[in-house]
Amino acid sequence: MKADRTIDCTGLYCPMPVVKTKLELENMQSGEVLEVLADDPGFEKDLPNWCELSGEKFLGIFKEGNKLKGYVRKK
Amino acid sequence: MLEQKEKMTIILFSGDLDKAIAAFTLATTAAASNMAVSIFFTFWGLNVLKKSRFATTKSQNILQRMFNFMSTSKLPISKLNIFGLGPVMMKILMKKSNMASLSDLMKLSRQLGVKYIACTTSCGVLGLDRDALIPEVSEFAGASTYLAEAKNSKVNLFI
Repeated sequence: MKADRTIDCTGLYCPMPVVKTKLELENMQSGEVLEVLADDPGFEKDLPNWCELSGEKFLGIFKEGNKLKGYVRKK
Repeated sequence: MLEQKEKMTIILFSGDLDKAIAAFTLATTAAASNMAVSIFFTFWGLNVLKKSRFATTKSQNILQRMFNFMSTSKLPISKLNIFGLGPVMMKILMKKSNMASLSDLMKLSRQLGVKYIACTTSCGVLGLDRDALIPEVSEFAGASTYLAEAKNSKVNLFI
């Protein structure tokens, strides 16, 4: 998936990946896509749920080994 | 169009480090999810807000001073405190696993607009005035203010 920006939250635990996602999206334009790299296993469920809470558009999350790549489109 | 934010309230009654971390983790996450979050600090929870370690002042009576001297901003953990060794070990563990510390979470929570409210009754009992607490405290209020906010909130926690 093509992203406008990427943040690396590898090694960080809840709540840091979603908090960093939120802070990064604040600096982005509506419609842009953010890629979030993480390895906290909870993030796989947390990202779609956070998107539902915050109203951002959840595009998907992909697992490669223990690495996660999540995609969010800014509303 | 002004968006009506969903609300969350937390009462932080405990002055334990582990419980405060739980409270601030949830507050920060909720605020990052566009919720309006307020934390009411009462009784031991006020220790989290003490500006200095003891927060003893000249205006306090002897009992208040004793309380503030024995229950400080150096927070214990709720289990395995082992005379202060527990929190030290826990902080090392948290740092090793790259977990956010309480001060990291508090900083983030303010950045995301979490409101800190100190309970005036507890402040009065413990002899803590505005100057004894960190400047991030935005309001001083009582039970009615909490209930008014809690009534309109979807998530209300007592920690």
